[in-house]
Amino acid sequence: MFKYIAKRIAYFIPTLLIISLITFGLSKITPGDPVKLALGNRDSGGDAGQALEKMASEKAYYEKAENLGFNLPTFYLALTSSAEPDTMHKFVKKTDKETLGSFISQYGNWKEIAAYHKQIKDIEFSLFEVVVDNTIFENMKEIKQKVQLLYMTSDDMDISNHIKSLLKNTEGHPRLNTVYLKTQKLEAAYNEMKEKKTPSKNYIPSLKWYGSENQYHRWLLGNAPWFFGEAQPGQSKGFIRGDFGQSYLDSRPIASKLKDAIPWTLLMNVLSLVIFYAISIPIGVFSATNKGSKADRISTFVLFLMYSLPNFWIATLLVTFITTDEYGLNLFPTYGLGEVDDDMSFLEIMGTRAYHLVLPVFCLVYGGIAYVSRQMRTGMLNTLGQDYIRTARAKGNDEKTVVWKHAFRNSLIPIITMFAGIFPALIGGSFVIEYIFSIPGMGKLALEALTARDFPMIFTVMMLGAVLTLVGNLVADIMYSVVDPRISFDK
Amino acid sequence: MSKTSGKVDQSYWGIVKRQFKKNRMAVWSLRMVYVIMFIGIMADFIANDKPIFCRINGNSYFPVFKSYGVGLGIAKYPQELANVNWNDVKYDFVIRTPIPYSPQNLDLKNKDYKSPFDEQDVESSRWRHHLGTDNLGRDVLAGMVHGTRTAMLVGIISMSISIIIGIFFGALAGYFGDKGMQMSRGRFWLSIFGLLLGIYYAFGVRGYHLSKALAEGMGGFLVQLILSLLILFGVFALFNGLAVLLKRIPFFGKKVNVPVDILVSRLIEVKVSIPTLLLILSIVAVMSRPNILMVMVIIGFTSWTGIAKYTRSELLKVRSLEFIQAAQSLGYSELRTIFKHALPNSLSSVLVAIAFGVAGAILLESSLSFLGIGMRPEDVTWGSMLSGARGYFKAWWLAIIPGFAIFVTVTVFNLLGEGLTDAMDPRLKQ
Repeated sequence: MFKYIAKRIAYFIPTLLIISLITFGLSKITPGDPVKLALGNRDSGGDAGQALEKMASEKAYYEKAENLGFNLPTFYLALTSSAEPDTMHKFVKKTDKETLGSFISQYGNWKEIAAYHKQIKDIEFSLFEVVVDNTIFENMKEIKQKVQLLYMTSDDMDISNHIKSLLKNTEGHPRLNTVYLKTQKLEAAYNEMKEKKTPSKNYIPSLKWYGSENQYHRWLLGNAPWFFGEAQPGQSKGFIRGDFGQSYLDSRPIASKLKDAIPWTLLMNVLSLVIFYAISIPIGVFSATNKGSKADRISTFVLFLMYSLPNFWIATLLVTFITTDEYGLNLFPTYGLGEVDDDMSFLEIMGTRAYHLVLPVFCLVYGGIAYVSRQMRTGMLNTLGQDYIRTARAKGNDEKTVVWKHAFRNSLIPIITMFAGIFPALIGGSFVIEYIFSIPGMGKLALEALTARDFPMIFTVMMLGAVLTLVGNLVADIMYSVVDPRISFDK
Repeated sequence: MSKTSGKVDQSYWGIVKRQFKKNRMAVWSLRMVYVIMFIGIMADFIANDKPIFCRINGNSYFPVFKSYGVGLGIAKYPQELANVNWNDVKYDFVIRTPIPYSPQNLDLKNKDYKSPFDEQDVESSRWRHHLGTDNLGRDVLAGMVHGTRTAMLVGIISMSISIIIGIFFGALAGYFGDKGMQMSRGRFWLSIFGLLLGIYYAFGVRGYHLSKALAEGMGGFLVQLILSLLILFGVFALFNGLAVLLKRIPFFGKKVNVPVDILVSRLIEVKVSIPTLLLILSIVAVMSRPNILMVMVIIGFTSWTGIAKYTRSELLKVRSLEFIQAAQSLGYSELRTIFKHALPNSLSSVLVAIAFGVAGAILLESSLSFLGIGMRPEDVTWGSMLSGARGYFKAWWLAIIPGFAIFVTVTVFNLLGEGLTDAMDPRLKQ
């Protein structure tokens, strides 16, 4: 038995790793610049007039990027083309990455591409030293815009047009002489890049190994010391040690936001699970033992309809019709969990919460009842057809003993294994219910995060949802072995 | 399926058909499915602000038909009908659709939730909003009709994707099991290597072309994607070809066992462990411009496990039967055995999974659109209409009608699945 559980847990780890890879992979293809999002989407100085200001915002950007580990390679290893440099990951900005990547796939000569890129940067910074007066004010505006565009484009036509425009705007103005010379250099660098192109290098794959200093490692395991020593500020403890990063939305640690939310989701789900198992098992046994009777036919039909009733519809109906005065039936609160203050006694708090949870839990429960009791009925019918039941009857046992002592336990097995399938469905379903009844659980958090594009939050919830499901499966498996002693696990 | 008069059809499908017909609920469900499909297909001819036929200034038009041409980009509206409000045009003669509204039409005179029984500001009963309007004055009945089309599309698109993926993995796991797939060591390693290299050439090298095409539009992207897939298969096939040569070397020629079943079962377990709604939520989150069609595709990619499980367990049964052994001993290729002999004989139970799968997909899509995930403001589906009821508790019609439609559709497909299960159950055969 112990061996079996150990084996199950050993299975658990690779599954979790794969899920973490999927989650991490999804988080890497999010649209937008993650560093900018984390900085609250402030622009890192497109038009910033002063050199100091620009440098400060640039510095803030890179500090944040470093803090979040975005300057690290993505994974332990990478299969890239040999045209791509080892240090591509050092370019944090998404626009830089995209433009450079596009250059690489067009020309494949990193040295020249880097020189070209550096030259643009050089021009950008030399612009800050220019003293602007009326004669060149318009030109400067044009130049700045073109420089920003040059960062973003890899299209041959666009680039030559931008460079031409730069040359035109700088030529003949004594104050812009340095910029003019640098633009000429840029043109030379660009031409060199085009002439010395080696696009064939793109077709030679190269495997790069980065070691444990990578984003995935840091996200999952963290870079803070494990056993000895305190974590330095800026160090992450990693997902498995409960450090989920910060929310983009309010810079609060995600762990603390979730700590408030998870109990509600768990409470709702566990409560509904207990209730619908408690109700549906007797129903299933009853309709199986009275198979073909009128009561069985009616209950089977009603349960079938219940199974198809979408819970968000029922929830909407309930909210519309029995939580407001609109139709004269204000029986339950419309949303939330009720106000609770410190003066209230424990019972009062419980009462308030229970009152607010009646409808949401009902919405989760009825579908489960329908599903589980149908399964219970089938399981019981299968068991009742077995030979050993006939034997038990032949021995002269009364029907009650036969059903509850001989058949019941064996027919429970499919119900328990089903637990594994129900749990994820329940968690998913409870998200919608949380949304409708405004219950501050994981689902509401995830949906809010979705509208706000708070990616760390979304992926943490996804990962935790998966972990909860896996734990649910594990529990189901262990219970399975408890209920069915016939199954030997120590093979 | 030969049908000779007077004789009872004793083929497998004949028996199934007879069993199915005995189940009244299932038969009625099937009829309902036809009705739903009819409404879905004909939606544009049932509820539309464009007339079916009209005559203006002596010219005759078929605006509904024309709209298909315009939608496909092969036709243009005539000058006088471009950018008009169809309800304001002066017609000489006009045949309108039964419901003269499109789901997106804003009837400004009847906005802010007009109940079906309320006084409505309409010209005649012909223009009445029989199921009321929502906050923007959109006709609920028109929305219901076009929502049927969305539901049908979910069923078709999502299910075709999950059928392809599910049957592929299910057949692989079920037919080969853990011991059935043996290949030479050389082929094994070359396959893995070829797959990696294929992915590299198809998606790594072409990554920028793909993302550029995606930014420009869906059509170009599909072409690029197909090209990438061709490259992937090409490289993979090339390496498999090399394996034939490599097999001559004794070391590489040694057979190794590929535990396909374990691999596929693991894959299914991983997939099942992530709550589907959450997975879809996360995928939608990373899309820059999600829309309903993409949501349907995502649903397809996330709900194939049911079909895979059914196919797997069915093929596990079928592969030990004599006719498969006969096919194998006749030296048929594995592909031929799977596709011509094993799969067709196990598809019947997959049909059941498909019926339930359609119900699940419709339910999932409507809950997603209820939550507003992947919805553009102009999209109207049953789920989005139901969520309209949350803004205004007096709008009982918005709370009841769309939800009821979802319920009926889901029930019908579940009943169909149920009926099929019973009809195919050999124990019930008489």
